[in-house]
Amino acid sequence: MPNVDRRHFLKLVGAGGVGAGAGFMLSESRKHPVEHLVPYPVPPEEFSPGIATWYNSVCSMCSAGCGISVRTREGRAKKIEGNPAHPVSQGRLCALGQSGLQALYNPDRIAGPLVRAGRRGELEFDPTTWEESLAELANQLELMRTAGRGGGVALLSGGVRGHLASLLELFMGWLGSDRLLHYDFNHPATLYAANERFFGESELPYYDIENSRYVLSFGADFIGHWLSPVHHGLGFGRSRQARDGIRGRFVQIEPRMSLTGAAADEWIAASPGTEGILALGIARRIVDQGGYQGEDLDAWQAALDAYAPESVAEQTGVAADTVARLADSFAETQPGLAIGGGATGNHSNGVDALVAVNALNHLVGNIGVEGGVIFNPPPAFGPTASRQASLARMLELAEDARAGRIELLIVSNANPVFNLPEAAGFAEALAEIPQIVSLSSFLDETTAQADLILPSNTYLESWGDDTPAPGVGFRVGAVSQPVVEPLYDTRATGDIVLELAHRMGLDLAFPWPNMEEYLKYSWREVWSSGTPDPAIPDFDTFWTSVVRAGVWGDDTRAPSGEFAPGANVVEGIGVAAPEFAGAEGEYPFALHPYLSNALHDGRGANLPWMQELPDALTGVVYGTWVEVNPVTAEQLGVQEGDVVAIESPAGSIEAPVLVYPAIMPGVVAMPIGQGHEQYGRYAHEHGVNPINVLAAQTEPDTGALAWAATRVRLVPTGGREDLVKVSGEARELGREIVQIAAVGAGAGAGGAANARLNSIPITVVNT
Amino acid sequence: MSLIDDFLARWREYRAPGYYEEFDYHWTMTVDLDRCTGCEACVTACQAENNTPIVGEEAIARGRHMQWMRIERYWEGEYPDVKLRAIPMFCQHCDAAPCETVCPVSATYHNQDGLNAQIYNRCIGTRSCAVYCPYEVRYFNYNNHHWDAPLEQQLNPDVSVREKGVMEKCTFCIQRIRQAKDAAKDDGRRRVQDGEVQPACVQTCPTEALVFGDRKDPESGVSQMLGNERAYTVLEELNTDPSVVYLKKVEADA
Ligand code: SF4
Ligand code: SF4
Ligand code: SF4
Repeated sequence: MPNVDRRHFLKLVGAGGVGAGAGFMLSESRKHPVEHLVPYPVPPEEFSPGIATWYNSVCSMCSAGCGISVRTREGRAKKIEGNPAHPVSQGRLCALGQSGLQALYNPDRIAGPLVRAGRRGELEFDPTTWEESLAELANQLELMRTAGRGGGVALLSGGVRGHLASLLELFMGWLGSDRLLHYDFNHPATLYAANERFFGESELPYYDIENSRYVLSFGADFIGHWLSPVHHGLGFGRSRQARDGIRGRFVQIEPRMSLTGAAADEWIAASPGTEGILALGIARRIVDQGGYQGEDLDAWQAALDAYAPESVAEQTGVAADTVARLADSFAETQPGLAIGGGATGNHSNGVDALVAVNALNHLVGNIGVEGGVIFNPPPAFGPTASRQASLARMLELAEDARAGRIELLIVSNANPVFNLPEAAGFAEALAEIPQIVSLSSFLDETTAQADLILPSNTYLESWGDDTPAPGVGFRVGAVSQPVVEPLYDTRATGDIVLELAHRMGLDLAFPWPNMEEYLKYSWREVWSSGTPDPAIPDFDTFWTSVVRAGVWGDDTRAPSGEFAPGANVVEGIGVAAPEFAGAEGEYPFALHPYLSNALHDGRGANLPWMQELPDALTGVVYGTWVEVNPVTAEQLGVQEGDVVAIESPAGSIEAPVLVYPAIMPGVVAMPIGQGHEQYGRYAHEHGVNPINVLAAQTEPDTGALAWAATRVRLVPTGGREDLVKVSGEARELGREIVQIAAVGAGAGAGGAANARLNSIPITVVNT
Repeated sequence: MSLIDDFLARWREYRAPGYYEEFDYHWTMTVDLDRCTGCEACVTACQAENNTPIVGEEAIARGRHMQWMRIERYWEGEYPDVKLRAIPMFCQHCDAAPCETVCPVSATYHNQDGLNAQIYNRCIGTRSCAVYCPYEVRYFNYNNHHWDAPLEQQLNPDVSVREKGVMEKCTFCIQRIRQAKDAAKDDGRRRVQDGEVQPACVQTCPTEALVFGDRKDPESGVSQMLGNERAYTVLEELNTDPSVVYLKKVEADA
């Protein structure tokens, strides 16, 4: 079988649905020379030394589910690119996705099964064998199951979708336990709840940024880590410069300028937690101006009565005429798109605020239209009920642990000890659980508490599949395949679960020898759900094509156009003032934690490329800092590098000050990601973890952690810590490095206006 | 002819317009600042492709980071009317490159495709080129670098790992250009076609801000971009004649 070299690959790049709006489909993948992509496993003699072999798979560094193409040489992974055929990433990738290679080749990976030797948390482990540890664990599980104590098993995993999620579901079902929880710090639980309430949809919709002419974003860092950053990046770029004569306008509302805020045409700081109130102020103006003519106009007028311009201006700190201007331009510019997330959604009023944002889309008719909110079909496979655990659910688990109701906890690909506030008491609760098994590839803070470590493969060594969420407006399924042989004595999570089931004697319920076979078995159903195609006579042809292409699905979006909110939804609209932990008098600043561009929720901290990736807005590497407005810094008498204690009602940490020009005076911001006590040599002992000072405040509807609802005070310690930065002068000083054009410029060719290119007559003065 | 006259005659010839016309390609990159978000995917993509080392916190504190692609950020205005403008900065492959003329051993030179190339094993580490480069995009290996095993398994076999005492910088992913040319030759074609080669940064950029290609091909994507009235070159007044052309950022109130 021929290999793929760059040339063939680039043909594929040109072919595979890179064009605007075009998705990828199976028929497409067959038309183009994907047969050059050799599915794994290939016998070593089939790859030629010196020639790269590419494998398509799925990125697992965050929950977006970008399709990837991995370049390998002589059995080693060399580079990850976006899979051009995958409609989410379309050949592109983010920095974190690029560094998946450093998870694979990380020097701190756990190389084989370990059993605790010292006391818990002392990090003394002895090597053991898979045979022995699986036999023992299976035995224990089977005893619990037959004794009717299976409910005492809890399984806590990171965000997981597709058939691995189904497998975990099935396994826990057989054990008789409903304690199957997914925990992902960045899971947009409040967005799901707001969409369910307003749209009646349980799936996230597709936010069509690409075709929108006006994006009004309430705290959604969609170019950073909100939902699907690579896909949003594509949409953003195209909304700006891919349409002749049309440049999408975009306004970002947030108390601290994020990467997304920096890319906006207008950045507006509203008081933290009042973004939803601002959205309703805008909504009221739209209704008042006659911009909405629905039959339920009366209900809207009644619901928005309390959001008169002056009162909104007073609560949000955004001037009444700005509110009016935003409302008028949003209503005028069609199609537009209002989105909300980040701190807006993770406040005490998060769900209400996001419902208010949804309402804006409805009022101007942006639901179910191109360039607006487009509903997604249900995922092509995998469980539909969400197992995502809120803070409240995690607290319940902790309570169960303390009450002795949990005998055995299995943790897979999640690090709750790092990602939950200390105030949640999760680490202490772990101590009450008689046995903890970790399936992590790394010795993270949670794995450090484990009694048994059964290290799993990284995603680049595993079989799996995925249905991206949010989807792209049509059905998409992707297969991830191992691109290299496992480096160490580790096993894929799915294989570990299957092996346990077999050893428990559950062969009838789990008839598949391994994850790969389970996937094949499950994908038969996917195959038969599709339209029959004479070019795909049998399942094997189908499967090989899908594995090669890395992705399968439909390719057209069919916006419905019709939408009306359910009964009593409009009446229920309203956003209360935000509630913070900590009184304003005592704790004058709202703490605005945000996911670090490079390190995400901390998962990227063990990747040296990510540690050395200068922070996108400040240029800092290897550290944590606290951002304060220049005026605040002056009032506090602190400068960059002065160490302050950040004290909240829940705790205290110390970090150096960074004077940040784009943050509200009453707000201080800190990046999440550093402050690891474990997690390998690169993560260890850099910075602090701001999650630790968050109060265990929840959003009442979902029980989600309201991570933007803690107040703090800053107390200078007198210490100094120079921030290590990759950045030069913060201002241009008249050098005109970044030049600016007016709107309307560059639409079309300007001809030779700038033709100083390669044609400069240079005069050399004779001396 | 005196030595000086001889030098000046050569110099004039060297700098004359059309000097590169005889060459096969003129590789050029455009950076659309209205698309670029400063997300830095390109920075990591470059690091992965080109075996740029992990240098550690201390070295970075001493200004010795090695990433060939960096995002410069400039603040404009004061709160609340404040803007952050980002610009990817990397070797501009100047046609009249100040770095080339100062190298005492000609370790950096212009190649037949219009690239500013660096011959690592000729470089003696005087660092003159870095001093003369107005864009500050040359990085010097103050140390030998080390990859904690097995991180070295990721290293790209098509790119050499540089040693202590050697200068390095963006190459426009010359290894990819070579492969594309070889492939074209294998196909019996004389020229690489538009789109057949993309540097790592261009390939990964989520906003499609970067376009790469041959300026000599009037149909190429990059030639189309050059016609845009927003096109400009950074520090134009220095007459370095860069092969990296930026498209101005659009601001609504500009
Ligand atoms: S957005 Fe998420 S899934 Fe996509 S490349 Fe980045 S880390 Fe991977
Ligand atoms: S990847 Fe693209 S958008 Fe991101 S910083 Fe680089 S050039 Fe800009
Ligand atoms: S940008 Fe600097 S290093 Fe690159 S060619 Fe120009 S002068 Fe030389």
